[in-house]
Amino acid sequence: MERLPRGRHGLSPEFVAQNQRERLIAGLTAALYEVGYQKTTVSLIGQRAAVSKSDFYKHFQSKDECFFAAYEAAIAQIREQVLAACSAHEESEWSPRMQDGIAALLAFLASDPALASISLVEGLRAGRGIYDRYQAAVESFVPYLRRGAPRAPGGGKVPAATDEAVVGGIASLLGRRVLAGEAEQIDELLPDVLEFALTPYLGAVEARRIISGG
Amino acid sequence: MRAFFAAAAILHAMLPPSSRGAQVKPTRPVLPREFVAVRKRRRIMDAMAELSAEQGYEATKIADIVRRAGVARKTLYDNFDGKEEVFLGAFDVAVEEMTARIEEACEAAGDGWDERVGDGLEAFLVYIAENPAMARICLIEAVSATPAASARYDDAVQRFVELLRRNAPRDTGLPETIEETLVGGVAWILHQQIRRGGAEQALDLMPELLDFVLSPYHGVAKSKREPGGETDSTVPDSNS
Repeated sequence: MERLPRGRHGLSPEFVAQNQRERLIAGLTAALYEVGYQKTTVSLIGQRAAVSKSDFYKHFQSKDECFFAAYEAAIAQIREQVLAACSAHEESEWSPRMQDGIAALLAFLASDPALASISLVEGLRAGRGIYDRYQAAVESFVPYLRRGAPRAPGGGKVPAATDEAVVGGIASLLGRRVLAGEAEQIDELLPDVLEFALTPYLGAVEARRIISGG
Repeated sequence: MRAFFAAAAILHAMLPPSSRGAQVKPTRPVLPREFVAVRKRRRIMDAMAELSAEQGYEATKIADIVRRAGVARKTLYDNFDGKEEVFLGAFDVAVEEMTARIEEACEAAGDGWDERVGDGLEAFLVYIAENPAMARICLIEAVSATPAASARYDDAVQRFVELLRRNAPRDTGLPETIEETLVGGVAWILHQQIRRGGAEQALDLMPELLDFVLSPYHGVAKSKREPGGETDSTVPDSNS
């Protein structure tokens, strides 16, 4: 994120403050991806953001507070991408909607490994109360899956735990790939993730038919 | 119980005379020092598991552990380098116990993959229900306790993935990552169950979890698993 010009620039103080805050969030996200949570210090965040340490403390009381803000910002960005892709379809078009939503999710994560890392890896393992936010974030994607979902292949209702297991399973797979340093190739997992997501609702045979474009 | 004392006596006889504790009255069976040491190590790890399940890893202090385990501080440091070592030791023990139980159950189930996976999953849930503290440190605390613990957690997930792969049907044409996503999904559901304080009721989840784990294989796998089996797959043609 570009720093603002030095000296007199006629920008409102609110604008400068907002811009600094956004740069700090981007700085923490970048630092976290480079060196991990433990080694991400307030000075390093400031360095990455081109914001002084004293300005850091005007926005956040601690590294943790900045981390929480960065985490929420990352999840909000992901949600925006997924929802935009889903909104191209009616509620009744469940599988095309899943297809586009998951494709958008994977493409976005692959385009920004640092964002993928904070949302899928650090959210789970940094401790310090972030786990609750990770859990809330994962759960917040469950309704997108559930909305308009078909009944189970046998005709019964797909159990609620399945929706959650599907979302949790995808998050876990993607997190493992990020940890392995393969964030940039995450979009290549699209057929796998899609087949996994569709199978409990459509059955393995129908899911495969859709994925192979039949 | 008799077998236990017999084993203890044999172990005792194997020890050098100096360590037999000759001053103890011979009428009472003497527990060999090594046996006691093993029990103490286990008590320390159990105390660690209980305390971190109750209050979290970070808040758990060495002083709490030795009090709960009923051992001297020195005993803890004779056995472990420090708090993290105790935690990692407890984690390793629990993962060994879990995987051993699951493998036994799978072996006893015979050749049908659905029975093998089902019995393995059930053994896992029974372990969680019977060992809620150990389950909690493995599935929850380990993820964020320390970087070394996170790495151990990742390795353990990989073991479960391989365990499922060995027992699930092969040649199904399913994505290569299917076992990873399934294990991740099950772990996620169990995370939440344990965090809600429901470890003891883990078996209630059996029907839904089993359905979730088996659903990808239904329709694309033969009913019997044939190790190393090839061809004659019932995988439907992708263009059909």
